[in-house]
Amino acid sequence: MGSWVRAAALVAGKDLRLEYRTRDLLSSVGLFALLVVVVASFSFPTWGQGRQGVGAGMLWMALLFAGLLGMGRSLALEKEEGCLQGLLSSPAPREAIYLGKLASLVLFVSAVEVLLVPSFLVLLQLDVGPGLPLLILAVPLGTLGIAVVGTLFATVAVQTRTREVILPLLVMPLLVPVMIAAVKATQAALEGLGVGQARTWLLLLTSYDLLFLLVGLATFPHLVEE
Amino acid sequence: MEARRQELDPEAVARGLPWQGLATARRYFGAGALILLALLLPAAFLHAPEDLEQGPPQRIFYVHVPAAWIAFLAFFVVFVASIALLATGRSRYDLLASASAEVGVVFTTGVLITGPLWARPIWGVWWDWDPRLTSVLVLWLIYLSYLALRTYLPDPARRARASAVLGIVGFLDVPIIYFSVSWWRALHPSHVIIARGGPRMPPEMFHALLLGLAGFTLLYLYLLAVRVRVGALRQMEEVGE
Amino acid sequence: MTELDLEVRLSGVTKRFGRQVALAGVDLEIPMGSYVAVMGSNGAGKTTLLKVMAGLVTPTSGKVTLAGVEARRAGPALRRLVGYVSHETMLYPDLTVWENLLFYARLFGLERPEQRVEAVAYEIGIAESLGRQVRVLSRGTRQRATLARALLHSPRVLILDEPYTGLDELGAAQLGRTLSGLHAAGRTVVVAMHEVHRVLEGPERLIVLDRGRVVLDSPVTGTGAGLQELYLSLLTKGGRGNG
Repeated sequence: MGSWVRAAALVAGKDLRLEYRTRDLLSSVGLFALLVVVVASFSFPTWGQGRQGVGAGMLWMALLFAGLLGMGRSLALEKEEGCLQGLLSSPAPREAIYLGKLASLVLFVSAVEVLLVPSFLVLLQLDVGPGLPLLILAVPLGTLGIAVVGTLFATVAVQTRTREVILPLLVMPLLVPVMIAAVKATQAALEGLGVGQARTWLLLLTSYDLLFLLVGLATFPHLVEE
Repeated sequence: MEARRQELDPEAVARGLPWQGLATARRYFGAGALILLALLLPAAFLHAPEDLEQGPPQRIFYVHVPAAWIAFLAFFVVFVASIALLATGRSRYDLLASASAEVGVVFTTGVLITGPLWARPIWGVWWDWDPRLTSVLVLWLIYLSYLALRTYLPDPARRARASAVLGIVGFLDVPIIYFSVSWWRALHPSHVIIARGGPRMPPEMFHALLLGLAGFTLLYLYLLAVRVRVGALRQMEEVGE
Repeated sequence: MTELDLEVRLSGVTKRFGRQVALAGVDLEIPMGSYVAVMGSNGAGKTTLLKVMAGLVTPTSGKVTLAGVEARRAGPALRRLVGYVSHETMLYPDLTVWENLLFYARLFGLERPEQRVEAVAYEIGIAESLGRQVRVLSRGTRQRATLARALLHSPRVLILDEPYTGLDELGAAQLGRTLSGLHAAGRTVVVAMHEVHRVLEGPERLIVLDRGRVVLDSPVTGTGAGLQELYLSLLTKGGRGNG
């Protein structure tokens, strides 16, 4: 277990250093996510009654796209100079490589969220107030769901000829439960509800995250085998 | 070279293919499916009484429900074969999984066509985000992406493993999708959903349903056997043995 | 010869990628401390052979033994035994050489990773480039950084896939000297290449692959011209045969 955590931390730390060095992803994906929210604001009723529901949907569409871009890039990076082969030729357990890539993706999308969520609240004139604890629980749980499945299938997609096309095709249907639960929980938070009133959705997200984290750990080694 | 040419004798080749038992039995499956589905027509239209509330459109039930049952069966077979593939690495399980996925997608498409045909006269809309129908729609998308993924991976061993992972994740996702959609709908009580089931089904309706289930299961097995055989021959050509 | 003196043993190794047969029943024994050159035209199966030796590719059939242990069972322990240099650098272009090497040194769980990186960088002659990003390095320096990465964990076997490709004469000569030095220090070195004259600068044994089969396995003798002639004759024969 110790060796897993150590190797995963190394892989994630390397990704963060790379991102810090180039800074191209966070700025462009963050800007992209903000654009999704702004453009969607022109397409949907973002004022008056029910804008909490519309807003929650917009927010998660933006985060889903940000996640897709992030996970695609994260694995493309390993493929470019044969670095994935380098990781695999080390004694680090394959599971740890999965955990490391997962961790860096979660951190990356979280960084986008830290920038995006406050601007989103301001733009849609939403006041979270008592819903804040629920929002703070729902957003990371949904992010983790996107990342556990995303890291797994980005590894698949990067081995194909047209990885940009195939990745959303693979990931989006699988993420339907995450989107439903995350949007519903976020909507409840925006309506000022407490954690208890969205218990079902938080439970659903937690079970999804745990189940597919375990499936990811069990299947990732098979995906990178040659 | 000589030995290889001998092996190309069709009967000898056929004996060496994986899932030979399934392939041999395919004629029985096909004949059985033909008979039962021929019987299903009179059973559904004459034997079973007309539904008091829904009238004639209810008779699509005898096709819709068996097709949905086969879709789940087919994807369950994909799931089990995918686990077997990752556990053993034997390509015969990939053959079974991919064949079952293809047949499953065909039946799922059937569910998605008969569903709206039934919904239109009864609910007044072609589509309602009913949990069952919605789950089937998502399922259909997942297994279409499964088939798409297979065309993008040229190396058979890698293709087998990658699609096995999707076969496992996709099936485990099914109950979660179903519950998430049900709860999602439950929070929107404004839509009217007609409760199914209701009074006990008359035995004649039950007969027709059973006939449909049995006929469709045989049809599934027949199509599966044919697809497995085609896949095995193609695999043999790929490997060059 | 006992099992332990044998670094690598392949028996009946076949590897298929779908229709394509990369290796068709290869038997090889490479004793500890050998210096082996592997030649063959593009697509002859060199890369697959090297990857199988390195335990990076599992053969479709046949058995691979490294230091007396079957590759399939050895797992992480085996990966400490082998250093592998592929066509690709396996280095992150946006990180510096130092950051790359330190990352791999830690991933291999080496003790005192910083000292180890410095020592290897000095040994390979890239100490002055440690602070530069891999992206801006010259081809030769990048190749040496790639080699340094593979040497960090002091592998007993060093496997290199066409390391001379794209190097200028100076860089290639330098690489040749480095490999000879590693061999002299007791390492087993297996190197795939296209350059016949490099075979004369160190390797003791030449293996020629054609269509996934070993068509020549002999000690390196004779002159460059003789070797060139022999090599070309093997390839032509391979091209006509197999019908």
